[in-house]
Amino acid sequence: MKIQSLSEAEVLRTLVTSDKGLSHEDAQRRLNEYGLNEIKDVRKKPLYLKLVSQFIHFLAILLWIAAALSFLSDYLHPGESMFTLGFAIIAVIFINAVFTFIQENRAEKAVEALKKMLPFYVKVFRDGNEKEIHAREVVPGDVFLLNEGDKIPADSRLIDASELKVNNAPLTGESEPVLRDPRAFDGELIESANILFAGTTVISGSGKAVAFATGMTTEFGRIAHLTSAVEAGRSPLQKEITRATRLVATIASAVGLTFFVLGFLIGRNFWDNFIFAIGITVALIPEGMLPTMTLSLAMGSQRMAKRKALIKTLTSVETLGAVTVICTDKTGTLTQNKMAVTKLWVNDKIVDVKDLYLYKDKIYELLRIASHCNNARFMDGQYKGEPTEVALLKAVREALGDLKSERIKEIPFDSERKRMTTVNLIEGKVFVFTKGATEGLLPLCSHLLMNGEKAPADEDLRKNVIDASHAMMDMGLRVLSFAFREIESINNISMVKGADIENNMVFAGLIGLEDPPRPEVPEAIKKCTEAGIKVIMITGDGSRTAGSIAREIGLIKGAPVVVEGHGFNQMSDTELRAKLLEKEVIFARMTPKDKMRIVSILKDEGEIVAVTGDGVNDAPALKKADIGIAMGMSGADVAKEASDMILLDDNFATIVNAVEEGRTVYENIRKFITYIFASNIPEAVPYLAYILFKIPLPLTIIQILAVDLGTDMLPALALGAEKPTPGVMKKPPRKLGEKLLDMPVITRAYLFLGPIEAIACMFGFFWVLNNGGWIWGVMLHPNDMLYLQATTACFTAIIITQTANVFACRSSKESVFSIGIFSNRLIFYGIMAELLLQMFIVYHPFGNRIFGTAPLGPDVWLILIPFSILLLAAEELRKVYVRKHEVK
Amino acid sequence: MYKRILAAVNEFTNSEIAARYATALAKSSQAKLSLVFVAEDKLNRDAFRHAENALERLFMDAQEQDIEVESITEKGSPFEKISDIVRKGRIDIVFTATRREDIEKRYFTKTLAREFMLKLPCSVAMARIVRMARTHPKNILVPLRGQMTHLEERGCFAARLAEVFNASVTLFHLSNPITSFFHGEIHLKPAQRDKRIPRDIEQFTECLYRYQIRHEKKTGYGAVSRSITIEAAHKRNDLIIMGASERTLLRSIVSGNPVEEVLRETPSNLIILKPRLEHL
Repeated sequence: MKIQSLSEAEVLRTLVTSDKGLSHEDAQRRLNEYGLNEIKDVRKKPLYLKLVSQFIHFLAILLWIAAALSFLSDYLHPGESMFTLGFAIIAVIFINAVFTFIQENRAEKAVEALKKMLPFYVKVFRDGNEKEIHAREVVPGDVFLLNEGDKIPADSRLIDASELKVNNAPLTGESEPVLRDPRAFDGELIESANILFAGTTVISGSGKAVAFATGMTTEFGRIAHLTSAVEAGRSPLQKEITRATRLVATIASAVGLTFFVLGFLIGRNFWDNFIFAIGITVALIPEGMLPTMTLSLAMGSQRMAKRKALIKTLTSVETLGAVTVICTDKTGTLTQNKMAVTKLWVNDKIVDVKDLYLYKDKIYELLRIASHCNNARFMDGQYKGEPTEVALLKAVREALGDLKSERIKEIPFDSERKRMTTVNLIEGKVFVFTKGATEGLLPLCSHLLMNGEKAPADEDLRKNVIDASHAMMDMGLRVLSFAFREIESINNISMVKGADIENNMVFAGLIGLEDPPRPEVPEAIKKCTEAGIKVIMITGDGSRTAGSIAREIGLIKGAPVVVEGHGFNQMSDTELRAKLLEKEVIFARMTPKDKMRIVSILKDEGEIVAVTGDGVNDAPALKKADIGIAMGMSGADVAKEASDMILLDDNFATIVNAVEEGRTVYENIRKFITYIFASNIPEAVPYLAYILFKIPLPLTIIQILAVDLGTDMLPALALGAEKPTPGVMKKPPRKLGEKLLDMPVITRAYLFLGPIEAIACMFGFFWVLNNGGWIWGVMLHPNDMLYLQATTACFTAIIITQTANVFACRSSKESVFSIGIFSNRLIFYGIMAELLLQMFIVYHPFGNRIFGTAPLGPDVWLILIPFSILLLAAEELRKVYVRKHEVK
Repeated sequence: MYKRILAAVNEFTNSEIAARYATALAKSSQAKLSLVFVAEDKLNRDAFRHAENALERLFMDAQEQDIEVESITEKGSPFEKISDIVRKGRIDIVFTATRREDIEKRYFTKTLAREFMLKLPCSVAMARIVRMARTHPKNILVPLRGQMTHLEERGCFAARLAEVFNASVTLFHLSNPITSFFHGEIHLKPAQRDKRIPRDIEQFTECLYRYQIRHEKKTGYGAVSRSITIEAAHKRNDLIIMGASERTLLRSIVSGNPVEEVLRETPSNLIILKPRLEHL
C-alpha cells in the first residue's frame, strides 16, 4: 500500500480522517503526537562546545600545564619573569584556539533557507468548516483547499483537482509547472501526479488535498534532515594539523622531560631544570603555526574570490587542492545554457539551420508545431521562457516570422510522459500539436510527413526516424520530436486527457538543439586530466547527447561507462562502486537526488570529492562532498548555504582554477612550515647549551615567543602568498597518506636550516659575552647589562638568519634567483615588518622592558649578517644537489 | 513463533497505526491478536470515544483479514492492566506506541514505555510513528551490532514483518572506528569494513533466508545514531527495526544512548524491539 496508489476513500481511511477534515480535538491530539509542522535542525554539538574543545586538545592541555607550572614557579621562586611567561602561554592557547575555531567553523544556514520556503498561513477544514491556521499547526489528516499562488504546507495527497499545476522546482529542479491529477497512481511517490510536496507552489488551478506527512517527515524535511545531519568529515588539512600538532607536542614534551631528568643527573638544581623544561617545550612548539595557517588560508580565499570562486570554509581552500574527483553538472557548468536550434530532420534528411531557406515549404509544418506547442514569448524585443522553448521560437520567427493561433487546451510537459501537447484553433480548424521525446511520441504516430504528404509510418520509416534521432544526439544535440493531427470540433475541452487526443498523429520531424560548451572548458578538462583529477559528468540529458558533449570537451576519449537513471536505481552499491572505479564514467538521465549516492560511494572509496549543484535537492550532496560547489548565478539559496564554495560565474573552469589555487596553498603551507620549524632549532639549542655546559641562558622564553608569534609571522604569511609553481597542475593529487610534516620537511628544517641558525645565535651570544669580559662558568644576573645584550644578540641572530631563510624557503628545489628575487613583493614587506619589530624590541625602552633585551652596537649586526649569507649559499648548494640528484 | 500478540491502543492515532504492524505480524504468524484499550481515570469523553473508534476499526480490519482477534477495554492503570492481561493470557509480544513524553524525556525515565520495556514478562515492540501513510513498508532498515541476545527472535521478527509486506531488508552494521593518536580516525573502505561484520549476524540472516526475504548487508561508519538516521533518510526506508538499548542509565549519561537518539530523530517509522522469547 502506498498513499499515491490508494483511492480517495482509502486515503481518508488510512489517515483516519474525512473529506470534512479533522475535529479540533483530534487535530490538537495529533499536534501533540506528531509535533509542529516545521523544519528543524538536527541536534549537533553546540558551537560553544566546539569552541571549548579548542582549549582542551592535547597541545592545549600541554600548554595549560606549562602555564600553570609557570605561575607556580613564580609563586615559589619570584623574580624569574615566570608570571609574564604564564600569561604569554595562555595568550598562545587563546590565539591558537580562536584561529583554529575560525578556520574550521562557519554559520550553517541551509536549514534556515529551507524554512523560508514553507508558507506562514494555510486554510484547512476543521470540524467541517474552513479555517485559517498557522502552517506550523497543520497535522497529518488535515484537509485543505488550494488555489493559485498558494504554497503547499505539507506533503499531501490530492483528492480533488481542477487544472491544478504546481511548480516542483525546489524538489525536482524542473522549472516547468506540472499538472496534478487526483487519480490513484501505482508508481514512485516523487513521480506521482496525485502528490503535492511541502514547499512547492500552486501555479494555476485549484484542488483539495489531505496532508499525510508534516515537518521533518516531508520530502522537504528529508532534505533538511540530510542537509543538516550529513557531514563531510574532517578535511585533509584538519587531520594533518591534528597530526602535526600532536607530533610536535609529543616531541617537545619528551625532550623537555628527558633533559629535565638529565639536568638532575648532571647536578643542576631544580629551578634551573624547571625553567629549562618549560623553555625547551615552548621552544619546540611552533606557536605561530596555526595563526599563520589560518591567515594564509584567508589570503588564499581572497585570491580565489578574485578568480570568481567564493570560499565559505577556510579549510576548503586547501581541500580543493587535494580533490581527486569532480562530479559536475553539464548544463550551465560545462555548457553555456544557451540553447540554439542547429539541425532539423525532415524528409529523411538532416538539415543545417542556416540552410533552412532552401527547405522553407517542407519544414513549415514542423516549425508550425514548434511555434504553437510552445510557452515562450517574444515581448518588448525580448524572448521570455524556458531556454529550449525560446530557442525553438527564435528559429521559427527567423524562418517564418510570427505565427498566429488560438490555444484552447494545454497538457503540460511532465517528466513521466516526456511530452507536451496543445490544442490550437487555426482558421476555424482544430489542431493537436505535440512535442517531446522520440521514444514516447513516435509510437503515437500512424503517419509520417514526407514532402508535405502523409505516408503510413511503416517499420522502415520508423527506423529512419530513430536512426536520425540517434545521429543528431551523437552530434551532442538535444533532440525533440514533433507531431500533429487535425481533429473535428472538440466537446467539453476541459475534460480531455492526453490519451484522448495523442493518437493517430502525423510525425512531422525532429529538431536538434545545441547547448554549446563553454569555450574555457576543454582547456580546464585537459588541466584536470594532467592533474590526475577524474571528472564525472552528471546530467539529466540522454546518454548520447551527454556522451557527445563529453567527447567534444575532451572528457572522454575511449568507450566510457554510461550509467542511466533507470539502471542507476536498479544497481546495488557494490555494482555502482565498480562502475565508479572505471576511468571514464558518465551519468545520464539523472536527478539531483542521485548525486548524494554517487558522492557517498566515492568518499567511501577514499576519494576527495567535489560536487556541483544548484537546486534545493542538491543540498545533501553538497554537504556530503568534501567540497560542495554551488552555482552563484543560477543556484538556489539553500544550495549556496549548504556549499563550501560558490562559483560566481557558474563556470567549470573556475573550479579548476580554484583547485590550482588550493594546491598552491598546500605547497605554500609546506614552505612556511619549513620556515617556522627552522627557527625552533636556534630556539632550542640555547637551552641545551644552558643545561649541558652550565652557561647563562642564551635566549629567554619570552624572546622565543617574540620570534614565534611576532617577527616570524609576516614573512611566513608572505610565503603563503607565493604564486603557483609551473608544474602544480601537472602532478597527481597528493595521496591521502602524504603528510604535511613529512621527513623531507623535518630534515630540512631541523637538520639543515635550523642548525645554521643555531650556530649564528650561539656565536652572537658568545661574541657579546666574550667582548664583555665574561669568564666561562660565571652565571650572570638576569638584569646584568652584559647578559641582556648577549641574549639580545642571540635573539637578533635568529631574526637575521630568518630573513635569509624566508628566501630559501620560497622553493624546496628551485634557486631563489631563478624564481625571481622580486617576484613576491610581500616577502620584502614581511622582512621590513620583521626588522621594524626587531628594532622596537632591541632599541625601544618599552621593548627592552617586555622582552628583557638591551640595545646592541653595529658590530654585533655586522658579525651576524654573514651567517644569513652563509645560510642562503648553503641552501642554494643543497638545491643544486637536489636538482642534480633528481635528474639522475 | 508468536502465538499471542497484544496491541495496546489509546486515544492517540499513532497507537492505531502501531497496532497495524501488530495486525500484520499476527497475520504473518497466524497468531491471536488482542486489541487492548486501557482508559486512564483522567481520560475525557472525546478521547475515550476516539480510542473506542480506533479499537473498532482495528478489530474490523483484523476480522477482514481472518485473524483471530479479541477486543478488550479496561479502566485503570495501563501498565497494571496490560501486565495482568499479558500474564493471564500468556502473551508473547506487546505492541505499543511511543507517547510524546518518551521522546521528550531523556533516558525514558519514568515513562510508560520504559515500564513496558523493563517490566513486562514478554517481548515488547515499541513503535514510533512519524509517517502515518507508510505503514506498509517496502524497505526495512535493521541496524545490527555484534554480541546481541535473542538473535533468532530478532531475525524472525524482521523476517515476518518483511514477509507480510513483501519488503526488502537492509542489514546495517556500524563498526567501531579505528583510531590512532597521531592519525586520528582511520578511514576504512567498504571491503575492509565488511570484514569486521560480526559472525553472529549470520544467525540473523539465516532467518531472512528461511523466509526468502530479499536482503542486503551494508556497513557504515561514524556516530551510530546519526549514521542510522542518515541511511534511513537517504535510502527512504519506510521502517527501522532496532533492538532496545541495553545500556545502563549511567553509561547512557556518559556515552550517550543511540537508541534514544534514533527515537528522537528518526525520519521513518521505528520499532524498538525488546526480545524476551526463550523458545521460538
